[in-house]
Amino acid sequence: MMQPGIVTLDVNGRRHQVALNPNVTLLQALRDLGYTDVKNGCEKGDCGACAVLLDGKAVNSCLVLAWQADGAEIVTNAGLGTMDRPHLLQEAFADSGAIQCGYCTPGMIISAKALLDRNPHPTEDEIREALSGHLCRCTGYGQIVEAVQSAAEKMGGAE
Amino acid sequence: MLPEFNLLMPKTLAEALEMLIDHAPDVAPLAGGTNLIPDMRGGRHRPGVLVNVAGLDELGGVRREDGHMIVGGGVTIAELLDAPLIAQTAPVLREAAAVLASPLVRNRATVGGNLADASPAADTAPPLLVLGAEVELASKEGTRRVPLEEFFVHVRETLRQPSELLTAIRWPTPSSRSVGRFRKLALRKTDAVTVVSAAVMVEPDDAGRCGEARIALGAVAPTPLRAHAAENVLCGQALTPDVIAEAAQLVAGVTCCIDDVRGSAEYREQVVKVLVRRLLTEIAEEVK
Amino acid sequence: MKYTAKPLPPVDLPELRQVGKPLRRVDALGKAVGATVYGADYSMPNMLHAKVFRSSEPSARIKRLDVSKAQALPGVVCVLTSKDAPGAKLTTDMPGQTGRAARAGSDAPVLAGEMVRFVGEPIALVAAETLAIAERALKLIEIEYEPLPGVFDPVEALEPGAPVIFEPDNVVARWKIRKGDVEAGMAAADVVVENTFRMPFVEHAYLELESGVGWVDEQGVINIRAGTQVIEHFRNIARAVGVPQNKIRVRGTLVGGGFGGKEDITVEIFLALLAKHTQRPVKLVYTREESFIAQSKRHPFIITHRTGVKRSGRITAAEIEMVADSGAYPYLSPYVLLYATIMASGPYRIDNLHVDSAVAATNQPFTSAFRGFGGPQAAVAYEQQLDEIARALDLDPLEVRRVNYIKTGERNATGQVITSAAWLEESATRALEALGEQTPDDGPVRVGQGFASYFQSYGRITWFHDTSRAWVGVEMDGTVVIRCGAPDIGAGQANSLCQIASEVLGVPLEDVTIYSTDSAVTPLAGTSTATRQLYMSGSATLQAANAVRDVLLDRASKHFEEKPENLDLADRKVFVRNAPEQSLPLKKLIAMCAAEGLPLSNLALFTAPFTDGIDPETGQGDVFPDFTFGAQAVEVAVDTETGEITLLKSVACHDVGRAINPAAVVGQIAGGSHQGLGYALTEDYVMENGVTKTPSLAEYLLPTTLDFPTTQVIVLESGSGVGPFGAKGIGEPALTPAAPAVANAVANAIGVRIHELPLTPKRVLEALGKLGSSE
Repeated sequence: MMQPGIVTLDVNGRRHQVALNPNVTLLQALRDLGYTDVKNGCEKGDCGACAVLLDGKAVNSCLVLAWQADGAEIVTNAGLGTMDRPHLLQEAFADSGAIQCGYCTPGMIISAKALLDRNPHPTEDEIREALSGHLCRCTGYGQIVEAVQSAAEKMGGAE
Repeated sequence: MLPEFNLLMPKTLAEALEMLIDHAPDVAPLAGGTNLIPDMRGGRHRPGVLVNVAGLDELGGVRREDGHMIVGGGVTIAELLDAPLIAQTAPVLREAAAVLASPLVRNRATVGGNLADASPAADTAPPLLVLGAEVELASKEGTRRVPLEEFFVHVRETLRQPSELLTAIRWPTPSSRSVGRFRKLALRKTDAVTVVSAAVMVEPDDAGRCGEARIALGAVAPTPLRAHAAENVLCGQALTPDVIAEAAQLVAGVTCCIDDVRGSAEYREQVVKVLVRRLLTEIAEEVK
Repeated sequence: MKYTAKPLPPVDLPELRQVGKPLRRVDALGKAVGATVYGADYSMPNMLHAKVFRSSEPSARIKRLDVSKAQALPGVVCVLTSKDAPGAKLTTDMPGQTGRAARAGSDAPVLAGEMVRFVGEPIALVAAETLAIAERALKLIEIEYEPLPGVFDPVEALEPGAPVIFEPDNVVARWKIRKGDVEAGMAAADVVVENTFRMPFVEHAYLELESGVGWVDEQGVINIRAGTQVIEHFRNIARAVGVPQNKIRVRGTLVGGGFGGKEDITVEIFLALLAKHTQRPVKLVYTREESFIAQSKRHPFIITHRTGVKRSGRITAAEIEMVADSGAYPYLSPYVLLYATIMASGPYRIDNLHVDSAVAATNQPFTSAFRGFGGPQAAVAYEQQLDEIARALDLDPLEVRRVNYIKTGERNATGQVITSAAWLEESATRALEALGEQTPDDGPVRVGQGFASYFQSYGRITWFHDTSRAWVGVEMDGTVVIRCGAPDIGAGQANSLCQIASEVLGVPLEDVTIYSTDSAVTPLAGTSTATRQLYMSGSATLQAANAVRDVLLDRASKHFEEKPENLDLADRKVFVRNAPEQSLPLKKLIAMCAAEGLPLSNLALFTAPFTDGIDPETGQGDVFPDFTFGAQAVEVAVDTETGEITLLKSVACHDVGRAINPAAVVGQIAGGSHQGLGYALTEDYVMENGVTKTPSLAEYLLPTTLDFPTTQVIVLESGSGVGPFGAKGIGEPALTPAAPAVANAVANAIGVRIHELPLTPKRVLEALGKLGSSE
């Protein structure tokens, strides 16, 4: 008989203690907690729409069981910025024409953030490589790459 | 929803092995979950108990010891990519890690998982086969080592018993003269199941001829496997275009049975020869 | 061959302040910070979770269906079958349509009764307290099928003796064009070239899965909050559910991609039925696999061209046969076939033309609207045929087109006069020039360049009597409100309306708020399909905004003692054009108008030109409001030993008439091109005896960031479109030339043509004679 367990999820700086069954993925747990910016595009790790930072690493949250994230630090796209105070990356996406339907956007920004955290001045090839786990059906990726380049310039400006 | 299962969260390897033996055979280790979770969702796997081994310290680490490279079964593909020791001593493995799935998957998928899942297309397998790797299988009752070539039995079938965990992969550190290359072909440029892959490693002798050669193929047979007949042709030979062509032709002899939406058997057989020929040619250039 | 861009005729486009600027779209920030609430992101108290039980057989009679065990499972609130919705049909009826070319009786049942006709056909609905319980309930539904013979190929389906899906035969629709004297034209030809081209099913693969929430509100109105391209479906939902039309309210969300796949009803009727039965809110979200097998696809086509040409390249006659696959139910097949038929011969002047087209039913996923709606399939064939003609005549491919391109003022295949700019040579030469020198071959890797010209309609079929409505008003503080039903499916439909209003009323874009996509509250603006929203709702918005502007300027003219044409609105002010220091804040002007009871809002109805239907015997008549013209040129490298194709470069050049938001236009063109490139190279939808063998994004491969270089976009603005400010439409046109350009490039690279999409490595090796099953 499957038994639920108490899991502590630290999401965007907020601690949640939830009773969850073991077969609940981190994606489901996050969405049920209200983090609907984390999207379900396939639930099989093929599309990247569900990407979050898990202890600083960009992962498909649909491939992580919530219990496996117990005690970990999770960042979703909504944790990076808000309508009032958007993150530079989010602004860059909004201003570069990188957003059409917007569904791939939260996941893309997570991987872009992970990239810029470890490589503040990426080349175009490095950007494309970092985003290669994200499918976009609307844009053809060109303006997304430009958005990351533009954000890198603004963010790395403190050189 | 995923099917129902019990999930055990051991804190040490010893605990994990205890849990595996207690719940065998209806038990599976869970690390990155990048194959296991989609498989469970798709109904291919329905273990009643999962034992979470992700993040166990004893399963981590890339180190050199007694002339051997040792990679913990829980090392992620991303960690493999970042490990200086791998870049220095086993670039053929690093090449495969770089093209395995996507960066998101690589942050979770483990080497142990990639091997234990035993897809014919597993990308870490051909490089590890040409490195002459062994896997370490640990259970509460002891540890054994199995050459990787024997470890794979059939499609998604290995010698690992339900009570065992693939705790490490080890191989003799190649000489600094040896050259290895890996190439993968798939239906798009990234994040795609391999259609044909090949790893080739050549240890040149003092005269610049091929001393020893190892050739391993992926996605052309029920398991990743070595192409011994082709290797034997290369032994002691200068890597001339004719010798290379002969070896490349012979790899077709081990291809079999993989015929699906991604590639017909005929296509795979045809193209694996091309891949091996090209890898040998590149290596021949470098060896000069 | 070196190409130089043909000079453009002079165009005098007025300088505008907001329109024509790449402003940040009004929906962009919400999407960027993850605040946008899509269909699956919405939840309500007391909500149930739904699942759909679907057929696992492609062709069968349901001998026994027993849902009792599912109903008895604790936590299951209801299980519905066709008994609970007798006769309910999923009708794809387009608003304002005056006639339907589909045969009566072949609409899809909402829930299958006695027969199932494709794998994935919905049979029962479950609503339960949790998703897990609903999934478990599906497994408890017992069903026994009696498998029947099925037919899985449209050509076979048309042959006598084929299993019939709907009596009397599998013909869903036929169209034809009869123009001039084809016999004489063929006799006058120096050479006749014949080719057949095949195109597969294609998956929309929008990132957002079909999803929504339905509930009954305190007025007894069934609310459906879902991602949809058409809120007017409330009428069809009402009929299917058996309630009055004013008791269904569709609240459309911002959609995470549609491309035509959310043009037909997806989850809406299921939600309405379940909400009505349970009297509780219900949520339904498809899985990705479900989206693959249960929702519409692009029509497979087999197209044969027989073309008579003179040595000069001039086409003297053309005969074209088309067979398409409608899958198990017609949906929009008759119209997709019509589009393909009309565009079958391409943007060329052909005086002697026969086109015969048929779409046949098979026991496969139903096909319906997908970006281009038959136009892309037509282009895959006609542009490859043009290149084959060039090869047969040993002429440059551009030259063959140049002597045949249709020009403004000439008549197309249906006799409709092209009234807007037809910058075919201009766009082709620009794309080719930008493509540049061909990269040299490298050993077994052969490089080839290729291009495609195209035309694609925008705006709906004119005998559908299309209309759109928009309401524009100014608030007392000078901010602007738009109310318009138009669904925004990601192309910036909503933003365009805001940019238009901001231009006309002289306020910055951030001062405009749009309330959209609510069938109860926002004026109905028609479907977000057929590349019609900018034309139709943009025009309605322009009309409404101008009406408000007229009131304001009229009042201001009295204030300034100037004619209204000497006044202008900009920067939140009204001012005298040649003496701008004479100005008044917009707020003050509004206050003046309000004090006198002048109308500060306007509801505009925009009507597209109405025509009669085409002649069913000749296919002659006016069909579309207008066409977009353009071209795409690409360079590919083909590894002749592995068959792998690498796209080296891609350039697209389109005349968009006028770019309302250039960043959005570039995005549409780059994105449409991307889908077309995927159509040509990576997207292989494999069916076997009615079963989808590629029902996941790991098997059906969309292009990633590493597959193709970004398409370089060249935007031309002729100002000659019928849309606001001379805009044409670009949503669908963006996709049309990409696949044929790739096919032509590959043929040039390897010296032999592959007649089937996608161009897989296996097909390359087969064409080169390197694999056993080659021709």
